[in-house]
Amino acid sequence: MANLKNIQRQIKSVSNTQKTTRAMKLVSTAKLRRAEELAKRSRLFSSKINQVIAEIAGRIKCHTIDGIGSRSFEKIENPKMIDIIFVTADKGLCGGFNIQTIKAVNKLIAEFQGKQVKIRLRGIGKKGIEYFKFKEIELFDEVKDLSSKPDLERSSKFISTSMKDFNDGKTDGLYIVYNGYKNVITQELHVNKILPIDADQYGCTLDPQKESLLEIEAQDESMMLTSLINKYVENNMYYALIDSVAAEHSSRMQAMDAATNNAKEMVKTLNVQYNKARQAAITTELIEIISGVESMK
Amino acid sequence: MDTFRLEILTPNGEIFNGDVVSATLPGEEGEFGVLAHHASLTTLLQAGVIDLETENKTVESVAINWGVVQVDESKVVVLVDGAVAIQGESESAIAAALAEAKQLIEDVSDSATAIASVSAKLENAAQKLI
Repeated sequence: MANLKNIQRQIKSVSNTQKTTRAMKLVSTAKLRRAEELAKRSRLFSSKINQVIAEIAGRIKCHTIDGIGSRSFEKIENPKMIDIIFVTADKGLCGGFNIQTIKAVNKLIAEFQGKQVKIRLRGIGKKGIEYFKFKEIELFDEVKDLSSKPDLERSSKFISTSMKDFNDGKTDGLYIVYNGYKNVITQELHVNKILPIDADQYGCTLDPQKESLLEIEAQDESMMLTSLINKYVENNMYYALIDSVAAEHSSRMQAMDAATNNAKEMVKTLNVQYNKARQAAITTELIEIISGVESMK
Repeated sequence: MDTFRLEILTPNGEIFNGDVVSATLPGEEGEFGVLAHHASLTTLLQAGVIDLETENKTVESVAINWGVVQVDESKVVVLVDGAVAIQGESESAIAAALAEAKQLIEDVSDSATAIASVSAKLENAAQKLI
């Protein structure tokens, strides 16, 4: 009899968990829709500004312009210190979403440390920060509540430190690592090298005939580039946050869906077990009664 | 008259995407106009107002706080930080857009004359709509 009670209790507990996971899935679905919409709208701007930068980088490559007045387009030999910014979620229960980003960061760190390059780690999102604290890896700074609520102003403020240190020569590179949204069922890990802008990567792709028509119209070219690069970096940071939120929700939706299904499966098995135990109990009782009657004869 | 494709994009989405006859942009070194077949150029924009003339002669105004424009022969792409289009169904909607646009400019510009000149332009645009 005690066994029956136990199974019953277990069934109840599992179905309660199922209710929670189902609710979480529904919440994530609703949030995903909003985040996805935002990411879609933002993607256009992001790709355009990257394109503008790519074109300028291409031009610099074509003409091998020297002394552009900005470190951002220079090739930095033997970097000494690299800034790595990672974006994780503030909350867990979203499958392998956070751990994937963390693994990528670890890989990047190992890669640079192999080349004797110092790393400065800057974290966004509670989960990643907790991990690196637990591992006793030093974080230069950390921001919570930003990855769940992307905000242009706060992200610009955060990235401006990296920009400034890069321009001042304190750091020699900037990477952003985040898990981005691809579609509802897949996330895509991004390890983006933001600075310096690698002109080689874009190559000289300009049409020489058309190229003569292109003019960068500003008295002070370096000022224009600085302003543009600032926006490029800011936008890449902001877009990483937006993309990451969408991915987080899609990942959580999936994880919770799987959990709900598992719980359903478990309730089913427990029910079978319960019925079997009940049947056994009835049989034992019957045997007891019958053997009692038999003995009275 | 020839038209060209104009796109105005902000980090939070598209503000305008359509064919226009001419566009007047607040360049860093002064206002300039763009017609179809303009030579390619890339330049910065300062806080101000973009005036667009569409095919049916209507003029639309969009206030911006920072921007970069990429002009090539068939297409103009304007990337801006924040933008407010002066438009609306009713007078109150236009007034609200106007107030929002002014706020946008005031937040980035510290010169009183610049703010005043942009505000005047915005009000003119709003007047035409009402």
